[in-house]
Amino acid sequence: MTSATIAPTAPARFVAPLDPVFRQIRDLVYKVCGIFQLEEKLYLMADACGRRMKQVGVRTPREYWDLLTAHASREAELRQLLNEVTIGETCLFRSQPQLDALRKVILPELVEDENKQIIKRLRIWSAGCSTGEEPYTLAMNMLEESEHLLKGWKVEILATDLNDRSVETAKTGIYGDYALRSTSEYFKRKYFSPAGDNKLEVRAEVKKLITFSRLNLQDDSRMLFMKGMDLIFCCNVLIYFDGPSKSKVIDHYYSNLNFGGYFFLGTSESLLKLNDKFHLVHFPGTIAYWKPSLKSGKL
Amino acid sequence: MSTSATIRERVKSIETMPSIPTIFLPLLDLLSLPPERVKVDEVVKLVSYDNTIAAQCLRAASSPLFGLAKSPESIKGAVIALGLRKVETILLTCCLGNAFLTKNWPLDPTVFWSHSLGCAMVCRKFSDKLATGDGDKAYMAGLLHDIGFMVNGVAFPNEFAAAALHASQEQIPFHEAERTIMGFTHCESGRALAEQWNLAEDMVRVIAHHHAAEPGDAAQPLIALVHLSDLLCRMRGMGYGYYERNKLDWIADPAWSVLLKKHCNLAEIDLALFSFELDEAVGEVFQLVSTIFGGKLRG
Repeated sequence: MTSATIAPTAPARFVAPLDPVFRQIRDLVYKVCGIFQLEEKLYLMADACGRRMKQVGVRTPREYWDLLTAHASREAELRQLLNEVTIGETCLFRSQPQLDALRKVILPELVEDENKQIIKRLRIWSAGCSTGEEPYTLAMNMLEESEHLLKGWKVEILATDLNDRSVETAKTGIYGDYALRSTSEYFKRKYFSPAGDNKLEVRAEVKKLITFSRLNLQDDSRMLFMKGMDLIFCCNVLIYFDGPSKSKVIDHYYSNLNFGGYFFLGTSESLLKLNDKFHLVHFPGTIAYWKPSLKSGKL
Repeated sequence: MSTSATIRERVKSIETMPSIPTIFLPLLDLLSLPPERVKVDEVVKLVSYDNTIAAQCLRAASSPLFGLAKSPESIKGAVIALGLRKVETILLTCCLGNAFLTKNWPLDPTVFWSHSLGCAMVCRKFSDKLATGDGDKAYMAGLLHDIGFMVNGVAFPNEFAAAALHASQEQIPFHEAERTIMGFTHCESGRALAEQWNLAEDMVRVIAHHHAAEPGDAAQPLIALVHLSDLLCRMRGMGYGYYERNKLDWIADPAWSVLLKKHCNLAEIDLALFSFELDEAVGEVFQLVSTIFGGKLRG
């Protein structure tokens, strides 16, 4: 057998010891938003704090901690910090373990479902799709399965975002090197065309699987209509919501999913304990939340 | 003759079958005492009987992994610098590793030991979270649960190699591949070795049943704990070196119900956070294994 699929962490490198306050800030961010920074990536959190400290005119990590915990504007500052932490994370093929879990474990399970075999339709929702990287990645992977697992199936991908401009950009499907940094040559050749200025445009066959629209996840009346989903992806979006709003959105997602459907968050994000109806499920290298199927008897 | 009787006969008849290292059981007894009752001098005396293990322990203790300013020159020095628990981990791993220095083993020994050590560590952490008060026993159970692999590698090398290939090609759980190819699994052969080594009854039961606990088994909670920890390791980068198309659904797993009956605080554990914390330890485990054994185990 060959080496482990999931590589062990990168070899140790020399890093100056971090101020222990950054660990406190990491724990606070997890407690409030459910996003976890691994020890080896703690320096990213420290860099983000450093940028914010400069902007708000704070000199030491301890003073910044006070700002995040005691100051009247702490919620606003925490949000600003999260913006810094998650900045630049969006790209196509951002999480290979999620895609592997989808194609190797979840799809075989879904297509075997007796009820689904009658209608042969798969509905995926990319909630908070930003400029379209996630829905296009999902669409390409579904097309890869169209001659195998999904032969004869209809795939519909709904991609929504609060920001009108993001949705309009997403519709163009044009990306530069940075957004394509994790996309293999195979996918670039098969699903993109040159768009000038060193950019690539997603081909029409991919685009036609996706319906883009603007949606506010806090708009209860519209959320009620998003029914019949088999999969929901909502990566690094809920971290910006306060507890009660997040809880409401998650309850909506639970109703929006079909029985036996899965809900994915960002790689280092968790639901905390805001919903006890979902089952936490581990796949190799990633986690998801599962709405138990009727026959599992574990509702 | 039944399959288990055949395996037992085969295990007994193999001349090259590893014998338990002389210091292993006394060391295990000594280290299973409450920390305040363990006498460092007795551990040092015991380890001094085996130069190879003492040397390996010192090499590991001197590695950058532990960040000591000065390399310890004696086992006692290592215990003082690192603490008894870390030295215990190193010693027990060395003992078992040296018992199975087999060439041409179909599994990468580094991967195998990383899985066993990772599982031991998760078992202890899990046990601590459940406040079982028996973290050391859980640690040992995790470390030993897969000793059947070592039996299969020595006693049935060709069949085991075929099972390993089948598992990685089909991306299925290893024990399923063993069952298909060999007609039995490492659970049965591990049990035969554990009985030959006169391991404690609950350890024998963990080794024999960690993939499927038998109803009414007195060791069920320990078996359930090892079962979940084993699967969690395989899902979080410490498996057997190939992509396993599998998932761990905590709540739906029968082991969850077994543990819940005994530990009502189980439902309070933030399982997502537990696995994020585990991710932090993955690199450390790989480094420890490679420090202890270096290239020595590679056949």
